[in-house]
Amino acid sequence: MNTIASDFDHEAAVEACARGERFALRAIYEHESRWLLAVAQRIVRDRETARDVVQDAFLQIWQRASTYQRAFGSARGWIYTVVRHRALDVARKAGREVTTGDDFDVLADANALSNSPHPDHDADASSLRRCLETLDEQRRDCVMLAFIEGYTQDEIARKLSAPIGTVKSWIRRGLLALKECLS
Amino acid sequence: MNLRDNDDRTVAAGEYVLGTLGADERREFERSLAQDAALQAEVYAWQDRLLPLAVRAVPHEPMSEGWTAIEARLDQRDAAPGEHLAQQDHGAIPANDPLWRRLRRWQTIAGSAIAASIVLATLLLLRGPALQNERYLAVLQAPSDNAAGWVVEITAGQQLQLRPVGAATPVPAGSALQFWTKTVSATSPTSLGLVTAGQITELPVSRLPALEAQQLFELTLEPATGSPIGRPTGPILYVGRTVRL
Repeated sequence: MNTIASDFDHEAAVEACARGERFALRAIYEHESRWLLAVAQRIVRDRETARDVVQDAFLQIWQRASTYQRAFGSARGWIYTVVRHRALDVARKAGREVTTGDDFDVLADANALSNSPHPDHDADASSLRRCLETLDEQRRDCVMLAFIEGYTQDEIARKLSAPIGTVKSWIRRGLLALKECLS
Repeated sequence: MNLRDNDDRTVAAGEYVLGTLGADERREFERSLAQDAALQAEVYAWQDRLLPLAVRAVPHEPMSEGWTAIEARLDQRDAAPGEHLAQQDHGAIPANDPLWRRLRRWQTIAGSAIAASIVLATLLLLRGPALQNERYLAVLQAPSDNAAGWVVEITAGQQLQLRPVGAATPVPAGSALQFWTKTVSATSPTSLGLVTAGQITELPVSRLPALEAQQLFELTLEPATGSPIGRPTGPILYVGRTVRL
């Protein structure tokens, strides 16, 4: 584990990007890229593609930095969304294959939520973990498959061998229950 | 997509962040999002709720070319404005895309007061009647030899751009360039933050205390973290006043 300071100011860095300060984009890259790469690779399933996704996403972060609004939430959450959405776009364009079956390494991930934490990892992780554990199994699976693997509703339906309408309902109830639990 | 009911809004925002909306739904959601601040707040809330799932990923080794590749693409983008990713993005607002990259060509000649006046005259000529908002321009010159180093261009109600036009300003290690403005009637300057030599800085005009002709802009040399006392402590490297275009 390297020794990146854990008090990195993501908000100030994104706002500096909005002012055209390139060093701020570089600071974000140096602080987050190893984790962003892991997130992207999980979705696109290929290291080279994940690398391209992260590069594209950093150009998007640069271009859209002025749209980030500190009053609404963290810049870090915003950055991860830009990267995840870019990865999802690429994965869907490529028509990625979904493996069927019940080999849920995803669920192992839910339990491993606190392993290998980012230096900035904090108490939010344990709240989310606790709340995920309170969800019905299918609802939790839906949220995890969507977030970590980047699955669409169709893909989740195939993976869980469930009708799409049922999956929609699981996602809906899962999200509402999570919000309630985390509030 | 029904976004009237609170639960529907929560779920739509959550699905948007998760990425489970279909392509059409996502476009529709983004159209609503652009004009609905409360919905944006829902999206940010989901980003933060789910963030621990993302940052718990096992980190990868750094990419070999890493930052260099991104920087090369930023440079490429600067050289060919308008040709970038934003075109594929739904509803993305391309910031950081200054209109006047073409001014680069002036950098080679902008080494004197004469060049500064050429830059000014050229900018005045380049302005078309299509521009509705008031615009201001200041050429910042070195007090020592009047060399033009930076140009400030401001569009009222929108953006300020500080753009290097001369050779990159040398900044000693442990120091930084700090950008300031002072209105005609003000008694002391207001800091507009640190800037990087050789790079464009953009700020929303709302950061300025006021905007008027003859307003002073200057760059001073300060400690690496900026002036500790909120007003310039180091030498003025470049200074100039605005003219209204």
